[in-house]
Amino acid sequence: MADSTSDFMQDYQALARQSWDGWLRQMQAAAPAQAPSPFGGAASFGGDAIERTLDGLKGYMQWMQGATAAPAPAADWQQQLQQWFGGGAAPFAQAFGSIDSAGAQGFVRQWQDWLRNAGSTLGVPSPAASPTPAFGMDREQHMQQQALAQAMLAAVQALGAYQALLQRANAQGLERLQDKLAEHSQPGRQIDSLKALYDLWVDASEEAYAQIALTDEFRHAYGEMVNAQMQVRQLQQKQTEAMCQQMGVPTRSEVSSLGERLQALRRELRSSGSTESGTTDEIRDLRREVAALKRQLGAQASAEPSTRKRVAKRASPAASKRAVAKATKSAAPRKRKAAPAASASSKRAQPAAAKTRSTPRKRK
Amino acid sequence: MYTPLRIDPTRMLGEITTFQRKLAAGMSHLRGMREPEYANTPRELVYSEDKLKVWHFTGSKPTAKTPILIVYALVNTVWMTDLQSDRSMVRNLLEQGEDVYLIDWGYPDGADRWLTLDDYINGYLDRCVDVVRDRHNLKAINLLGICQGGAFSLCYTALHADKVKNLITMVTPVDFHTPDNMLSNWCRDMDVDLFVDTMGNVPAALMNYVYLTLKPLRLNQQKYIGMVDILDNPAELENFLRMERWIFDSPDQAGEAFRQFIKDFYQGNKLVKGTLTIGGKPVDLGLIMQPVLNIFAEQDHLVPPDASRALGKHVGTSDYTQLAFKGGHIGIYVSGRAQREVPPAIHQWLRDRA
Repeated sequence: MADSTSDFMQDYQALARQSWDGWLRQMQAAAPAQAPSPFGGAASFGGDAIERTLDGLKGYMQWMQGATAAPAPAADWQQQLQQWFGGGAAPFAQAFGSIDSAGAQGFVRQWQDWLRNAGSTLGVPSPAASPTPAFGMDREQHMQQQALAQAMLAAVQALGAYQALLQRANAQGLERLQDKLAEHSQPGRQIDSLKALYDLWVDASEEAYAQIALTDEFRHAYGEMVNAQMQVRQLQQKQTEAMCQQMGVPTRSEVSSLGERLQALRRELRSSGSTESGTTDEIRDLRREVAALKRQLGAQASAEPSTRKRVAKRASPAASKRAVAKATKSAAPRKRKAAPAASASSKRAQPAAAKTRSTPRKRK
Repeated sequence: MYTPLRIDPTRMLGEITTFQRKLAAGMSHLRGMREPEYANTPRELVYSEDKLKVWHFTGSKPTAKTPILIVYALVNTVWMTDLQSDRSMVRNLLEQGEDVYLIDWGYPDGADRWLTLDDYINGYLDRCVDVVRDRHNLKAINLLGICQGGAFSLCYTALHADKVKNLITMVTPVDFHTPDNMLSNWCRDMDVDLFVDTMGNVPAALMNYVYLTLKPLRLNQQKYIGMVDILDNPAELENFLRMERWIFDSPDQAGEAFRQFIKDFYQGNKLVKGTLTIGGKPVDLGLIMQPVLNIFAEQDHLVPPDASRALGKHVGTSDYTQLAFKGGHIGIYVSGRAQREVPPAIHQWLRDRA
């Protein structure tokens, strides 16, 4: 019986692998070929997205397949958990491994590729080699190479410290999972599917990771890792630029420097163009006020012709005074509405009012 | 006391077989699928400069007299507010009667390497605001800043108070040193000068990598396992793939602006310390006397709620409103709940201050 179960398991695992491989082949065939770019532009559904999806699923599939390899629940369930979630092939490690495809490639792997290439062409010493004094014509070059090798060594160490913290998060996640599982020891609350166990493990691991990721220790390790990698990259760039200069190829620094000057010039141009930046604003505001005034006057003119005629032809001086008062009163709320333009409005409103007032006097 | 694991081997095998079968069957759905389209709410281009564009959303007659200008984060794209037809913040704001403009920052390249925060805030943003003011012949307009765009909007309002009538901030970090801010913790020991001097512009893929590592298992594995369950549902699958497209369709970051943002905001926390200067001018949040609506997400893993809540203590206005949304940093734009709750709340708040 045991043998037949074992055979079944082997057959099943072969089948599972076949399915996965088949899936992978079909997906890759469906995805348009893309040149690998360490810091490629916008992701497309066909390329990076499928890769990400497959990477994500792969970790889960591997974990499930691993779980089927020892399917019988052990008497010691904690030991079983260790089997399922411990070790380097755990889905946690896979989750980090899979995002090491695009962004992280530039961050972590790129210099390793560079080292392989540079080692053969430039004679870059191994990072493990101890620094030695340099002499003669090649002194500077040799010193640079030593600095690069040391920086690479520092980057490896910093990455190691960072990864050690990730492993700690993984281990603590497992402890948390055990605590969470302990709450499921009652009938009816037991975990009865791999997916449910996986989801619980994700909860536990994310909690553990978040706790570690917020510590000063993690902050320091993270900063060290980034800084060490940038140091390597910068030294690589220097060497590449030196090589380009010798070959008469424009360097990144030169292009960047031009960009900086151009941007400074643009700023200067803008600020000199708007030395009167206040004036520009003022002109804009004045235009706005003039437009508002025109609207006011237009509205006033369309409302007042008959009144004016009556004032001109028949009104007594007293009546004309009342008309003036009325006109001024009706203009007042408009001034308040256009609050920012109030001063200009009032200044320009006065001549019109005076004109209305003077007409009857002339007739007098 | 029972063992908490009651996973029957036969059932376990069945589970794996089902998963494999779904995966294989899902192929047929995925194979014929085109790249999902975004909502593409009708819009007109009203201004452009370098890679920046200002869009005016059209299609409905606004009832609001003062337009809103949306300022999103430099790490994002216009689609965050207009993802799909039934999950579009701009579409919902239009339906409420708002007149909506949006700044599209575009995709910076090497030519933008030296753009500073001053260029972005006192340059680009100021000119965009002027364009909208001129179009509506208004002294001041409403500003809606999202995430980093919210921080920009706060700086802008403090520096150009006369041009902003009402200010709305969404999932905006203000206090960058709250103890639960993971991003802040990670970049505090980073030598950002070395970083930017070396990298130049910051690649989008690198930024995405950092965001994914905030929740490595959920964002990088669990969500794809969940996707297997919807492979046979074309509509849901399309939504999922649209989200994927949007999340990973990110612009690079202009190096100089990135340097300043990390140094002054994340490392120096100068916005709340009152020591921030943009273009040589001090940014004093206390000078913001406009009505402020501050919306944040209670389960935000990028901008912790406390980082946003801090705004209330620092703005000068007495008309400060805070709105907590039950969801995350992304859900506040794209979830069904967000569509029902957020745009109406913004509209109502603005209407009360029209």
